[in-house]
Amino acid sequence: MSEPQILKLMSNDNVEIPVDKDVACRSILIKNMMDDIGEQALTEAIPIPNVNEAVLNKVIEWCVHHKNDPTQTNDDDADSRKKTTDIDEWDQKFMQVDQEMLFEIILAANYLDIKALLDVGCKTVANMIKGKSPEEIRKTFNIQNDFTPEEEDQIRRENEWAEDR
Amino acid sequence: MSAFKRTTVIGGLQRHSVLAPLRETQIINTKPVLPAEILSTILDYLHIQELLRFARVSKRMREMVYDDTRWVPRLQLMGCWNENEARRRAEAARRKRSETLQSLQQEATKSIGIGVNGQPNKTNGAGQPGKSNVMLFDAATEGQRGSHVNGEHPKTAVLELEDGFDTIDPTHNGRPTLYEALGASSRLKIFSQVRSLRGFARQEYGKVYGALAPFYLNAVRCENHTNAIIFRTYRDPDQQAQMLSNIARFSNSDMAQGWQQRYEKFAALISAFESAVSREFEQALDDTDVTGKMRKYAHVLVSLNGGHKGVELFISRSSIISSRYKLGNPLDCLGQQGTGTFSIEQSFTFFNNLSTAFNEQIGILDQVFPASVNTIVPFVQRVGKGVVAEYLTTLFDEAHRTNTEAYLKAVSVTCEQCLEFAKSLRPTSASGDDFYEAVDEVIVGIYEPHIDLYLQEELEFFKKNSTSEVSDWEKRLSEQDASMESMFMANVNRQADKRDFLSSFKKVVMMPVNVLPTFPMASPFGSKPATAKALVNGETLLVPDPASQASTRPSSPGVFNGTTLSTNGTTTPVSEPPTTELAAKAAIMNSRLEGIRSLFSIEVALNLVHMAKSSIERAAVFVRLGGNSAKDARLQCELIFISLLQTLGTRHIKAGFDQAVDHLSNYRPHETIDNKRSTVTPLITFLELVNVGDLIQQMIDVFYGQEMVAAKLTDRDDFLNPAVKEKKRFEQMLDERVAAGLNKGIEVLMAEVEHVCATVQKS
Repeated sequence: MSEPQILKLMSNDNVEIPVDKDVACRSILIKNMMDDIGEQALTEAIPIPNVNEAVLNKVIEWCVHHKNDPTQTNDDDADSRKKTTDIDEWDQKFMQVDQEMLFEIILAANYLDIKALLDVGCKTVANMIKGKSPEEIRKTFNIQNDFTPEEEDQIRRENEWAEDR
Repeated sequence: MSAFKRTTVIGGLQRHSVLAPLRETQIINTKPVLPAEILSTILDYLHIQELLRFARVSKRMREMVYDDTRWVPRLQLMGCWNENEARRRAEAARRKRSETLQSLQQEATKSIGIGVNGQPNKTNGAGQPGKSNVMLFDAATEGQRGSHVNGEHPKTAVLELEDGFDTIDPTHNGRPTLYEALGASSRLKIFSQVRSLRGFARQEYGKVYGALAPFYLNAVRCENHTNAIIFRTYRDPDQQAQMLSNIARFSNSDMAQGWQQRYEKFAALISAFESAVSREFEQALDDTDVTGKMRKYAHVLVSLNGGHKGVELFISRSSIISSRYKLGNPLDCLGQQGTGTFSIEQSFTFFNNLSTAFNEQIGILDQVFPASVNTIVPFVQRVGKGVVAEYLTTLFDEAHRTNTEAYLKAVSVTCEQCLEFAKSLRPTSASGDDFYEAVDEVIVGIYEPHIDLYLQEELEFFKKNSTSEVSDWEKRLSEQDASMESMFMANVNRQADKRDFLSSFKKVVMMPVNVLPTFPMASPFGSKPATAKALVNGETLLVPDPASQASTRPSSPGVFNGTTLSTNGTTTPVSEPPTTELAAKAAIMNSRLEGIRSLFSIEVALNLVHMAKSSIERAAVFVRLGGNSAKDARLQCELIFISLLQTLGTRHIKAGFDQAVDHLSNYRPHETIDNKRSTVTPLITFLELVNVGDLIQQMIDVFYGQEMVAAKLTDRDDFLNPAVKEKKRFEQMLDERVAAGLNKGIEVLMAEVEHVCATVQKS
């Protein structure tokens, strides 16, 4: 374990990005892949078919910053409250990107199985939702309104108990 | 959440729109869309309010938000979701639904006519309403939806069935019970109104939320605790406490972002309230206003959070703890009757005092705290730790420092007294059935730190004493070796002696049985084993009256220090009469055996057994403690037994036999000067020795049966048990020695016969 081993990741626009093995292994997907194929992974570029270069760079940036974090145990079902901690400052800055990029990062994190990054992304999105009206949310998430106005009102009345009074 | 994986959440799946496919393609290409499971994760981070606003976005989103899997965990966090109840209700609902379905079927059959007839028939035939009805219902819903499934639950019934959260029940469906303003008093009991109802977890949660969230959010936002609405709405401290406790319970379900800060703030509010109440309680405690304020504030604390703080306060101020030195001084137990002794009475007094004081305090506890709170167990724990443990530790430390035997006795006796004390406690109405268990646990906790040292000391004490006993014997033996030798080898006529010995030997067979139970720490075995023993021996024995025997031989002093070995035992002045039957017996035995000069002595064996017995009995007290200590104690008892066997067997008997065999092999009857008379006397002596060995072995066997097996310290049938193995080894060793001795004896005999043939026979 003297010098760090370098892996090459290939984004979907065919750009090879070298990255430390330790950093890459923040991704459970890559880590498992390494466990499976071993040394071969060091010689060939690993294709990441649904992530483009910009996003991949961003994800790697995050991984580099967080490479010394303790690895999370994945059984958060045991205490679903534990995962709801606040976003730290660096991550907040890191997530200050346009929405498209944010979603791409989340998708990439989901695909690469980087739990912590996915959490950060989701929290950021949750913060975006805060204080928005349904219509704004629809716009943000690109969701079609399939309610009649009566139906929508019905839901509002149904859940009146949650409104601030 | 798995239910959602099947459906993609690409927005705008408007199945009636012609443009939908086109739009969909565009959407995917222009903007990344988050898949359902990610959306679902995002929803986890939302506040309730935002979550429900999100439900208004689209039907898919509403489905996702309304799903039980999102709400049941919250109810679970508040501890008001009962899975069994939910299942029961769901099944009841299913039954009801299948009845409804039946009527629906009939209607459908009537209206649609013969064409669909095949279907219902098949369904009826299948006899499984759950699964097959889904199909039917699917068909039927299309037509019935408008009338039966009203707008409030437009999620199709089919979907619900697939989810398994199928409590769709037309009568329940249009319930208007979502949120109604709750009165101040009903908020206090809000949790009792929550039902575990599948498919309605959101509504049930809504009830609690509606009742408590305003207070919660307000309390969390409030800068000054006293300004919180809750304290203005409720004036009675008990109600405030109940409400706070409710909200604390509710706050567990708050898992949106920032819950930690909110949680901390609320905890601060609660602790502020608690300390205010505690101050009042303390005040009342000082005034000893038992039934008035003390009781009132105790109840407040209990409704707030179980009243730990109150109990804690009460205990820490309890007179038992503060005036524990009045109950007894541990050092009084030691050195009362000379150094190195342990006085049972002193510790007994201590426990008596403690018991009285304790029961008094329990009475007060019972009055002050409501019956729902188990106050006594913490109290017992505290007293155990603060008073008893402290007392005992001082006592043990001191005893250990001064005298090992006193220490051993102190540990064992106090343990027994402790258990007695536990029995003397009066459980209160509040203490459950597990009161005595808890007390036992406390006692175990007290003795836990001592037990290892104690058991170790016990074993070492026994080993040391037994070894010194045997060495003592050996030393004396070797001192008298010369004379012994001559005596052993010389053909002294001891016919009379021998007969006498044999009869007394028979008595000795009885001895361990007769004597052991009459030791100070008597155990309940009586004469039964004795008769059994007699039968085994196949002899009808004359059981000697120990008392009269003792009186006939009052002149064997100090049996236990082994001085009677001197041949002039009869002339030694009486220093004190033998105190126990064992002593008497041993004295008799010893004098009987005086002339024989065995190479090992029953007396030593008896002493060893006696020591082992008292050691084991002391250690056995701890078996009653249960748990690990019991296991350790049991193990230690076995170890003591093993050590007894080893010392007795290897060091004493084996050495003796070896020596005897040695003598025999060196014995040349014809070479001895005086061989006119019984030339085979040494052989007979050896046989006697064998008898003594056998006697000891039987003694051990009885000891094992009585002390180890009957006291449940070891399992006789467990052939892997080290104690059993050691006993077998002991017996085997004895057999081997006897066999070797007999071999030698026969050899000697044959040599003698040849010698006689050669010398006496005339050619």
